[in-house]
Amino acid sequence: MEKIDCYIPETLQEALEILHREDVIILAGGSDLMVFHKNEPSLIPEFEKSVMIIRNLNELKGIRINSNGECEIGALCTSNEIAESTIVPWHLRQAASRMGAVGLRNSATIGGNIANASPKGDMPGPLYLLDARVKLTSLNGSREMLVSDFIIKFKSIDLKKDELITKIIIPYSERDFDYIFWHKVGTRKSNAISKITVGMALKFAEDEIVKDFRLSATSTGAKTNRNRDVENLLIGSKITEENISRVIEAFDQVISPRAMPVFRRESTKRMIRRFLSQCLLHPESRVIDTYDSYYVPGSPKPVFNI
Amino acid sequence: MDINDISTAVRRVDALEKCSGTAKYVSDYDFNDCLWSKMIRSSIPRGIIKNIRIPTLPDGYFWVDYKDIPKGGKNYLHMIATDWKCFAEHDVRYTGETIALLCGPDKKILEDLYKQVEIEYEELEPAVTIDEGLNCKGGAFVNDNNIHCHLKLQVGDVDSAFKKADRIVTETIETGFQEHVYLETNGACCKIENNKYVFYVSAQCPFYIRKSIAPLLNISPDEIIVKQTVTGGAFGGKEHFPDVLCGPLLVAVHKIGKGVKLFFTREEDMENSVKRHPSKVVFKTGLDKNGNILAMESKVYYNAGGYLSSSFVVLQRGCFHVSGCYEFPNFSSEGFGVATNTFPSCAFRGFGAPQTLFAIETHMCHLAEMQGLDPLEFKKRYFIKKGGITSTNGKVVEDVKIPEMLNQVLKTSDYKRKVKQYALGSGKGIGISFYNHGGAFTGNGEQAIIKAKCKLKKYSNGKVEILCGQTEMGQGFKTILPKIAAKVLNIPLIDVIYNNPDTSKVPDSGPTAASRSTMIVGKLVEKAALLMKERFNKEKEFEVETSYEHPEGYDWDQENFQGYAYLGYGWGVCVVEVEVDPCTGEVTTKGIWSSHDAGHLIDEKIVHGQVNGGVIQGIGWASTEVMENINGYFKQKSMSDYIIPTSMDYPSQYVDFVENPYKWGPFGAKGMGELVFNGSGAAYIDALSRAIGKRISSIPCPTEKVMEYMLNGKDIKDSLNICR
Repeated sequence: MEKIDCYIPETLQEALEILHREDVIILAGGSDLMVFHKNEPSLIPEFEKSVMIIRNLNELKGIRINSNGECEIGALCTSNEIAESTIVPWHLRQAASRMGAVGLRNSATIGGNIANASPKGDMPGPLYLLDARVKLTSLNGSREMLVSDFIIKFKSIDLKKDELITKIIIPYSERDFDYIFWHKVGTRKSNAISKITVGMALKFAEDEIVKDFRLSATSTGAKTNRNRDVENLLIGSKITEENISRVIEAFDQVISPRAMPVFRRESTKRMIRRFLSQCLLHPESRVIDTYDSYYVPGSPKPVFNI
Repeated sequence: MDINDISTAVRRVDALEKCSGTAKYVSDYDFNDCLWSKMIRSSIPRGIIKNIRIPTLPDGYFWVDYKDIPKGGKNYLHMIATDWKCFAEHDVRYTGETIALLCGPDKKILEDLYKQVEIEYEELEPAVTIDEGLNCKGGAFVNDNNIHCHLKLQVGDVDSAFKKADRIVTETIETGFQEHVYLETNGACCKIENNKYVFYVSAQCPFYIRKSIAPLLNISPDEIIVKQTVTGGAFGGKEHFPDVLCGPLLVAVHKIGKGVKLFFTREEDMENSVKRHPSKVVFKTGLDKNGNILAMESKVYYNAGGYLSSSFVVLQRGCFHVSGCYEFPNFSSEGFGVATNTFPSCAFRGFGAPQTLFAIETHMCHLAEMQGLDPLEFKKRYFIKKGGITSTNGKVVEDVKIPEMLNQVLKTSDYKRKVKQYALGSGKGIGISFYNHGGAFTGNGEQAIIKAKCKLKKYSNGKVEILCGQTEMGQGFKTILPKIAAKVLNIPLIDVIYNNPDTSKVPDSGPTAASRSTMIVGKLVEKAALLMKERFNKEKEFEVETSYEHPEGYDWDQENFQGYAYLGYGWGVCVVEVEVDPCTGEVTTKGIWSSHDAGHLIDEKIVHGQVNGGVIQGIGWASTEVMENINGYFKQKSMSDYIIPTSMDYPSQYVDFVENPYKWGPFGAKGMGELVFNGSGAAYIDALSRAIGKRISSIPCPTEKVMEYMLNGKDIKDSLNICR
């Protein structure tokens, strides 16, 4: 193994200059990369090329609301920072708070989670759902694109060699919707990888007409799934039994889970049906869950076989 | 010791060193003068080794394989059987079988050499599952039928009773692999000190290692010294398995003349270590017109893997426990240890009993549900009592406190109200299980095989040292045993010395296994302390020794497995309540209530810890702990694939005990380390089946399987298959 260089730039400018002249592996929180490059205990991890550790770039930290009212999250923000911030949209806070264990959440970054482009990643789902954009910066300037376009396919992103993910901008939040839904089925209750995660949001116009409806699912194919044609089946119409079935069937065509297909397809269907049929009832709580806890006094008896 | 009751909790002797991180585990030692080593293993489940290309080894690097076993030495590990080879020679029977040990001073260079090793095989078709083993897929490789071991037991006359039955139903219950996931992976170092082979090793049974590996060099076990290092969990996974590390290390040190160390990484350990036996139990049950059981036949199949090793004893315990906490008028069990091309299965908390206890509990539930009965009411009809006939035609010697324990959990869990309130298939369910565990070695094993000995030594400064081979592995024995001595001698706990065993310094008190340590060795210490007490103030420095004596009149025929299999059982009742997410099939455990009979408790807090851990480990086995073997390869290789529960998955448990002093145990204590694992899985599955209204007959049952049952499962009230 040849020796490699490891850069630890202190400013964004310095980092962009390194990127401009050299092909490096960008390491932010390291929670994916260090596992991927794991070596035998007491042996140093081996990287195939030079590494640039960007943790010190203050320009990539912090969460704020910009002049357009959009939430801007620095690419180096950790899952815990996102989970704890009250200005971050609800769906993303939920996703961040259920990622891995505490130690991982203190280290993993949103930029890294997007760049890893895993179909099981926790952050892309809400970002797809809320039309979030990534800001990519190089010495030649900046560009922005939808996260859903930036992630091309399994483990593949539209990042040029001299570019760095600097920011994530989220134009929508739960305030733009009447009802919201986010549910992760993990391998267990905590420290878990997603078996399936579904996010939804819905806004009514007048007369029970659906003004906006969004639906995303992770761990159901090579990348996070969101499909506007499916959403448009409902937008402009009322929620009816027939429309619910049309959405469910159409979304079933969109997803392509390889492992556990019966479970993933069926639970997706049931979650969509549950959310939409609850919206129709206009419950007091804007957050819809997969079922009403059987243990809340006075709650209606759940119908088990949907 | 100034506590009135030995049950009163004290701070664990090892708490500080473990919580502060100062405890020294085997890989923490400075074995700087020792070589590193890597295990070269079979990369295929079954085949013939055609050629091995070893890279050119620099000076100081060594390849060690079966050819290095000296003349007169035997290429096997003497576990219980002697069929498990130390190094594969010609053929390989499972993926991960040891072929060689590569040793050298620089770990990095060793890694590079390791990657250059190429082995050519003639691959043969593997048999992986129990059915494939039985069908001799790819041809039999053990005997002519792939049956490693077999036994048959009968109480009454099952065949005659079947003739009188109104109907006979059959059911098959299956359980999967389980990985131990001890916190500390396996590791060992062998050095030469004063012309002896000295092992530092994370292990349960130091004396087992000596016995197992001495034949490799054709030497006496006394020429090997085993020193147990602080052991970070074992659960049975370090009962025999350390032999698989220590055997090759011994041959390597013999060849090289220098110390060699071997530590497994987590992934390496998961892929290449023993697991709990997967099982399949086929019941055939004859019912009379009123639905009462006239006779039950059980066929018990355990997936033993490539070598027999300890599986026959595991299978025996399985067959002895398959009648559960019940006495049936006619009962038979027949056990088969099936050879397959998987890693040899071995000891795991419960040692064969959990599989059959899960099977009988689940079968009893299904027999009840198909008749529209509450499983509890049905099971109650058959509870065994003192004097009741066991599966081996022995008798239960002690009082069986199941009625008292049942009352406790009924009260704390509010079981009866909830059963009425939660309709089958309502999404909510509550389940109950009954279980036991025979303490210590079966039958006269303690007397005939182990012959445990223990010493107490008094020093002139008033301190007392316990000398025995028992190990602390996280279960609390370093506190339990000194507490017994301190209490009897009425001296402070701090004045009792109990070091990790060193086989050259302590007598062989038998393995730390089989829930025998407190019950058997604790008693030896109690007896020794009583002997010491008489002389304590008169003599400055002296030793006393005690050895195990079997109570008279409780005979055991090991050839036919007849008689008193166990003199003291631990007993348990567990209730689990769940709710199921109707959208996703996710199960939330809402409550766990248990009561156990462990005789008289030596330390409440330690026993609580055992209950908490054992119950959760049992539910993990039944729910999320999926370990698949696909075509001879374990699929789950890391802790993100193999899903053990965390503290977030289950609520606080309600823990109860009954007092039932065991007359041959120290202060009345019985074994309980395995007992607490044996029943929670069945209670969980009972609760889950009722919640979704479907019959579940195999575990593990993770979320995706719950969904499949919800969609396509058999209704819980459907009749089992009727064969007549």
